Amino acid sequence: MKDKALELTAFSTALKSHYALSEFEIRENLLTLTTDTTTYVDLSTYLKDQGFSRCLTVAVIDWIDQGEFEIYYVVHHLESNIYVKVATRIARSKPAITSLSTIWKSATMHEREMWELFGVNFVGNTMLKPLFLENWTEKPPLRKDFNWHTYVDKEYFKAREK
Amino acid sequence: MSRIFKAIKSVLGLAVSKPMTFSFPPDMPLTELYRGRQLYKPELCKGCKICANVCPNNAIQMLEREKSEENKTGLQPQIDFRKCCFCGLCVDNCPTGALSFTNFPILLTMKPETLNYTPEMLAVPPTLEHPEAPKIKNTVSWARSRSIWIVNYMTGCCFIEAVPWVASSFDMERFGLLAVGSPRHADALLVGGYVTPKTLKRIIRIYSLMPQPKWVIALGNCPMTGGTYWDSYNTIKDISKYIPVDIWIAGCPPRPEPIGVAVVHAIQAIQGGYLGKEEKTDTDAGKMEVSPYPLLGADANKTEFDMVFGSQHPASGNFNMALKLDGEIIVDAIPYPGYLHRGFEKLMEYRTWLQNIMLVPRICVLDGASYELAYSGVTEKLAGIQVPIRGQYLRVVQAELSRIQSHLMNLGFGGAATGFDTIERLIWGDRDQVLLLLEELTGARIYHIFNTIGGVRRDIQPDFQQKAEQLIHFLRERLQTYDNLLIHNKTFIDRTEGLGILSKETAIQNDVTGPNLRASGVDFDIRTATPYEAYQEVGINTVTATKGDAYHRFLCRRLEIEESLNIIEHALDQLPSGPVCETKTPEDKKITWRLKIPAGEAFHCIEAGRGELCFHAISTGENTPYRIKVRGPTFGTILVMFPKLLHGMKIADVPVTYWSLDQCPADHDR
Repeated sequence: MKDKALELTAFSTALKSHYALSEFEIRENLLTLTTDTTTYVDLSTYLKDQGFSRCLTVAVIDWIDQGEFEIYYVVHHLESNIYVKVATRIARSKPAITSLSTIWKSATMHEREMWELFGVNFVGNTMLKPLFLENWTEKPPLRKDFNWHTYVDKEYFKAREK
Repeated sequence: MSRIFKAIKSVLGLAVSKPMTFSFPPDMPLTELYRGRQLYKPELCKGCKICANVCPNNAIQMLEREKSEENKTGLQPQIDFRKCCFCGLCVDNCPTGALSFTNFPILLTMKPETLNYTPEMLAVPPTLEHPEAPKIKNTVSWARSRSIWIVNYMTGCCFIEAVPWVASSFDMERFGLLAVGSPRHADALLVGGYVTPKTLKRIIRIYSLMPQPKWVIALGNCPMTGGTYWDSYNTIKDISKYIPVDIWIAGCPPRPEPIGVAVVHAIQAIQGGYLGKEEKTDTDAGKMEVSPYPLLGADANKTEFDMVFGSQHPASGNFNMALKLDGEIIVDAIPYPGYLHRGFEKLMEYRTWLQNIMLVPRICVLDGASYELAYSGVTEKLAGIQVPIRGQYLRVVQAELSRIQSHLMNLGFGGAATGFDTIERLIWGDRDQVLLLLEELTGARIYHIFNTIGGVRRDIQPDFQQKAEQLIHFLRERLQTYDNLLIHNKTFIDRTEGLGILSKETAIQNDVTGPNLRASGVDFDIRTATPYEAYQEVGINTVTATKGDAYHRFLCRRLEIEESLNIIEHALDQLPSGPVCETKTPEDKKITWRLKIPAGEAFHCIEAGRGELCFHAISTGENTPYRIKVRGPTFGTILVMFPKLLHGMKIADVPVTYWSLDQCPADHDR
């Protein structure tokens, strides 16, 4: 266990010296980094080269009050059991970011889900098609300004009166 | 040769042992703890409205009754069993004990409005009344009533409680029931739980394909009112707007017994000449637009053709794939999920942190306990709450029992997919024994809601350890039988060995986790890699295999059951004393259902039955989460890896490969 902890510290120091990271935190075996969009993409190649071969998720948080989307991915290093979460923020008005689909195969499907549920465009992902929803014409449902209440009322309870 | 003798010995052993089937009715395998219909004591009620406020499903309304010395507001609760999910928050939070649970599970009706129980109805202890059986009308109606064939379409969560009816434990064939694949041969349609717009169209299609007379049985609350998903943007709230329903069974999910009672009622009505409601499909109620299947463009000039696999297929779950075939060889495949998408991540944003525990196990019906555990874990991490050690041990026991029942379910599916129906029935029947023990521990079979923020909701009963020992002993013996009949069976080995081989590298790159990854030779298990709860103290041995084919994936699960039994045994042996639940946060605030969690974020992973399950929670200091991201174990395995794995495979190998990966469509759809 001690060796792994050492590796984590050494690895994080190396990361800090190479990249512009605005926030940096180590909790247990999870390294949380916040950075700008360019570094977000650069880091992915670096992490893949370092042996972070599993991409657990690519996800979005809608910070509506700040007018931003937070995009993050979580990757895992199997041999040393280290998780790294890299986050960045993009403007809500222009929701587009480079896709990680060429780096991690499993990222493709996660990005497709986020594209559908948050309406964030992942440039370079060729699979951006509806995944779960059928004929969805409203705002992407997981956005904070999607009003579920009116939608459920309109679509399911009052559908007949339309 | 010795294998054949062992198999024969096992079969003879089964032939002489006591049958596993529960008699029906009246001897129901039901524990005192089961959370069934509530009982209301008006004399204790203060009319405080807490039960109505705390209910995550808005099932409780306060009605105005006479004011009294004790009840100054004069308000008394009315519980709508079309919505109640029996989570027990109302009973837990009732300050005077006016609301309590009985273990009565049978709530069914032909008119859903009668399930809305007034305070006066709630005050009467429940009893089971069978309607008087009508006279047999004629030979045709008698014959018809004794062979109801049910179309096989696994709609939603409630279908899990129809499974024991297939198994040896409840055995539907003694009622003349049979599950059939083709709607054209079916008499009855079982709507098993929530219906999403995508599922709705398939249901309507199946319904219209069924010959007359036909009957529809709706399981659970979701087809009546939306149930737990009353506010989801992607579930239908009332299925009767679209097709007529004959019998409604309330519950979330209903136990197998009410399903049996419903069937008995149906048999009686049908023999009396009841021909079901008038056939009609109403498609005006919206949500009927169908988007075309994403076909892969087979070249008709060659020998290629497109095929849609699922969603109404016993080997697909409620999930669907578009295949491009060349003859019977699969050239290309893409997944077409979404039949079970309920938008959990959105739903969780407007329920409080504690109410969400009632919601999360519903993400994956096959292994709900893991989701409770992961969600409670992430919340406790965020709030800095330390769970008492006894609580941690009990969580381990619950999680491992849940893993066992999930793996047993999968072994059964493995048997079914390879044509060993006996194994399927036998294993699923044994699974019911595990569910009974889970009920002993938690108060429910499927959605235990045993965890709460800070620990578990109740301590074990005095005789629990003894019952657990009995079950462990029973299952260890049974595992030998499964080995003799399935795992060491040459036919099974020939069918599964070398099928769907996942190399180490491919598995890792495509985010395959859990037993599937371990079967490819990667020794990675969160329980040992990043131990949570009491796993470090209890200690576990991970199970790995090297070949990564379908056989070794089944084998890994079979061996994990044994390991889980060991874990439970250890945990119960060393069970420490002390409290089971923390009641205060580090800031010395009481943990209530409206608890505000400090702003911040936390990431927590656990080893669910199907692999790595992670929750990422973000709090802004409110009593509801700002965002919860659920990263389910089957997302990568099924949506990413499975279609690639099918390339070059024969169409008949799809079900075997599919169940060898242990699919849970509800998990990746969320």
